[in-house]
Amino acid sequence: MLEFRAVSARYGKLAALIEVSLSVPDGARVAIFGHNGAGKTTLLKCGVGAMPGIDGEVSCNGTRIVPGAVYRNTRLGIGFVPQGHNVFKNLGVERNLGIAGLLHDKRFVERVYELFPMLAERRAQLAGSLSGGQQQMLALGMALMTQPRILLLDEPATGLAPVIVENVLASLLRINETMKTAIVIVEQNVKATLPVVERALILKAGRLVWDGSSAELARKEDLWTWF
Amino acid sequence: MEYVYSVLVMIGIYTIMASSFNLIIGFGGLISIAHPIFFALSAYASALVNLHWGVPIPLAILLGTLFAAAMSVMLSLPSLRISGDYLLIASMGFQLGFVEVIKNVDFAGGAGGLTGIASIYSGPSRSPAFVVTTLTIAATVVSVVHWLTHGEYGRAIRAMRDDEECFASLGRNPMAIKITIFAVGSALAGLAGALYAHYFQFLSPEQFGITQSALILTMVVVGGMGSTWGPVVGALLLTALPQAITFLNLPPSVMAPLQGMLYTGLVLLFLFVRPAGLVAKRLGQ
Ligand SMILES: Nc1ncnc2c1ncn2[C@@H]1O[C@H](COP(=O)(O)OP(=O)(O)OP(=O)(O)O)[C@@H](O)[C@H]1O
Ligand SMILES: [Mg+2]
Repeated sequence: MLEFRAVSARYGKLAALIEVSLSVPDGARVAIFGHNGAGKTTLLKCGVGAMPGIDGEVSCNGTRIVPGAVYRNTRLGIGFVPQGHNVFKNLGVERNLGIAGLLHDKRFVERVYELFPMLAERRAQLAGSLSGGQQQMLALGMALMTQPRILLLDEPATGLAPVIVENVLASLLRINETMKTAIVIVEQNVKATLPVVERALILKAGRLVWDGSSAELARKEDLWTWF
Repeated sequence: MEYVYSVLVMIGIYTIMASSFNLIIGFGGLISIAHPIFFALSAYASALVNLHWGVPIPLAILLGTLFAAAMSVMLSLPSLRISGDYLLIASMGFQLGFVEVIKNVDFAGGAGGLTGIASIYSGPSRSPAFVVTTLTIAATVVSVVHWLTHGEYGRAIRAMRDDEECFASLGRNPMAIKITIFAVGSALAGLAGALYAHYFQFLSPEQFGITQSALILTMVVVGGMGSTWGPVVGALLLTALPQAITFLNLPPSVMAPLQGMLYTGLVLLFLFVRPAGLVAKRLGQ
């Protein structure tokens, strides 16, 4: 379980996140929505300790997430797929998976290949030469190599064709179901994301303004006024 | 003949320097100008523990090398915590500061230099033995750097440079890699320094100035940054070339500026004509 207790974060003078409290139970599927600059990326960064100085506290199963020590926090079972840049373009597919694999169980590569057969067919291909969707799959596979209990994803489907978006989201659902990994996904595409999550959060100018079931949000007539 | 031997030893020593600096700047992407000071710290440490405490030379060389590594961590740990740019600034302080410190420490010989350093070998075959030792160690250093920067650890280095945030989020520690690279590179510079001390048997703080930083950087740039053989070629060329010019028998007033211009000219030439250096880096896997 990942827990935020009154977390505030800032970039210099700008408050990017203001007193956000929430908790993500094991195995949950949560989406985070909000307009550009609402603080979604900042929230995920706080989750893995990538924001250096924060107020409040983030913890994972009772252990405090130390701000600024990302690599140590990931070992608590937090996987983080950053926005946009998330594969090592100059390394091949298998080598990309191996970067995390150096620390963790190498045999797990086979599980990742089972999940994404497309990657298995391209083991030696340079990650930079994969298509956008394939790179996202690889990024997911890489995050899985650390065998996280919770996976934080920052816009994993941005810039992809609708079919590919469905594909990425379906993979997430599969990961959640087969590995019991909790999923926290930041997405702009509300319509496509709502069906695959159980719960949705809405951030507005750094504040958490909505936290409820995705079904309830989907029913809301005034959905768009929240953004 | 003695002259040829000393040039060969210098080629070996500069190969170690250029190769280890390439590890730091070319592979690690860490910009520092303090490479000669680690050479100096180890040279002095090795000479002094032998001179004052009678530590056997091989052990003294090892101690000097470890001392250089330890001092490198003193520089890299606090500054890399802040940023890579800070390392450059702090390295300037380190480089300039320690030269001054050495100048003012009496038991290290002070500004006049340290004399009476013991030699590893003695007798008529001293120099050839030294040439063989230095070149063997240089070849080993080049292999170690190659081994470190290729294969699994090399891929981790490349991934870390490609994207630090992503690297850390996969549970890998970018700081550990940077500090290790810096420490290994500095230790190798220290090894070169200790060898130098016990061959030339004289150290002067003036030798380890900022011009040495420039010379080693030139070797790496001309040879090819981020390639295994580049620094070797650079060291060979830039050690041999100035020696070759001396055979022209020019007056010192022409000689000194000519050597200076040689470095500047070469760097400019290479930046325009062959920015990747003589030995271009292989891309891809
Ligand atoms: N490195 C930074 N330095 C300064 N300000 C930043 C930095 N990163 C983000 N911000 C600011 O913090 C606020 C929140 O940014 P954040 O990246 O969390 O938004 P977001 O919800 O992820 O937006 P998007 O949907 O565009 O990705 C924005 O106003 C942004 O301009
Ligand atoms: Mg964002």
